[in-house]
Amino acid sequence: MWLWFAKLGSPRWFYELSDKWLPWLYVSMLILMSIGLFWALLIVPEDYQQGQTIRIMYIHVPVASISLACFPLMAVAGTITLVWKMKLADMVAQSVAPIGAWFTGLALATGAIWGDQIWGTWWAWDARLTSLLIQFFLFIGVIALRSAIDSPDAAAKACAVLAIVGAINVPIIKYSVDWWNTLHQPASNFSMDPVAPNPPEVWVPLLVMISAVYVFFAIALILRTRNEILQRERRSQWVIDLVAREKNV
Amino acid sequence: MSDAREIQDIKGVSTWSAFCATLRRDLIIALKRRNDLLNPIMFFLIVVSLFPLGISPDPVELSSVSAGVVWVSALLASMLSLDNLYRADFEDGSLEQLLLSPQPLYFLVLAKNIAHWLISGLPVVILSPLLAYMLYLPSEAYWTMVLTLFIGTPVLSLFGSIGVALTVGLGSRGLILAVIVLPLSTPVLIIGAKAVTDVMFGLPVSSHFALLGAILALALTMAPLASAAALRISVN
Repeated sequence: MWLWFAKLGSPRWFYELSDKWLPWLYVSMLILMSIGLFWALLIVPEDYQQGQTIRIMYIHVPVASISLACFPLMAVAGTITLVWKMKLADMVAQSVAPIGAWFTGLALATGAIWGDQIWGTWWAWDARLTSLLIQFFLFIGVIALRSAIDSPDAAAKACAVLAIVGAINVPIIKYSVDWWNTLHQPASNFSMDPVAPNPPEVWVPLLVMISAVYVFFAIALILRTRNEILQRERRSQWVIDLVAREKNV
Repeated sequence: MSDAREIQDIKGVSTWSAFCATLRRDLIIALKRRNDLLNPIMFFLIVVSLFPLGISPDPVELSSVSAGVVWVSALLASMLSLDNLYRADFEDGSLEQLLLSPQPLYFLVLAKNIAHWLISGLPVVILSPLLAYMLYLPSEAYWTMVLTLFIGTPVLSLFGSIGVALTVGLGSRGLILAVIVLPLSTPVLIIGAKAVTDVMFGLPVSSHFALLGAILALALTMAPLASAAALRISVN
């Protein structure tokens, strides 16, 4: 098991393995995304209160759910960096920070567009909006810290500490703003009952969209990590060989 | 022979006396640098007095924002003085001595954080009723404001210490420190300011105090560990 674990940490091994994963991921994202978008944007009936605006939810909910997952992911990668000094974990942590910031920004933007239609305002100091905004700032802090430290090793460890501290803080921020002010509706439940407020014809396409966006996130993360691997390992023989092979093709 | 005995002597120093020595040293240094001591307090005063100039001198308007203004200013004052926490020690090398000492770094960092709070946080707490008066905070909210600041400002010092420890080795750290520390401080600000506002409306506030106390307990136990880890990374 430890052998497997050590192998997982090897950037080269990951690079070669992800080469085999990527085509499958591309295909599944294409399928899921086209089904999901077609279904959500054209087939799902209009909401009796929100009308066509409901369709924003099919982008907003997947994006927001990933943006919430990014910080814990970064903290886990940071912990692995600190405990096992695994190079790959830090590359993942570095790659996930900008993606997390983008997804948080996207969740805020799609939420604002939806809010303009339904709440009548682009921005409200509502608990979820505020906690997402603060999470956005936390991502910016991690990215800024990484770019400020010259030594890659020190930057890796410092960002790992900050990611862990931030991940402990995210639920505290979330609960404190929840008690502070709440306008956002609670998360809807998935129900099989066709007459429930959320019948399957509404949430099944949402589920498809969530999986599609998750696969997209995985692709983005893998591509970024692969770039990072090439960048950091540019002096190792296997990368030099790889580049030479690419040039010849 | 004498070296060996000296090492034995250093190891013999109990954690408690090392804690006290660090605390005493930081307080003495702070008291000898009057300007560093006064600057955060003056900053607090000036920032608070900017708000009436920027918003309105109207007592009704000011009293409705007074709790938040005092809290935000306390947060900024605490952040401004954070850089003193480790920078001078980093530059003259005494921080390395601290890291090399056989006593647990957790307690030494905690001592430095307590010293920082006594120098920068406590004066703000003591001064806050005066500023609250100038901002027309209703008198029934005074005690709540002082108490929330009393519980909240140590948390600001403890969280801020992590940020300074992470950035102490960097050349330009002023703004990056703010970007790191301010988002982490938001729960304290939210709960603290909310408690003061709730008292103004006659609402019960014991839950806010419980939450602030819980955050303080968490910060006391965990934050110095993170600061210590960060210092070991930065000083290398």
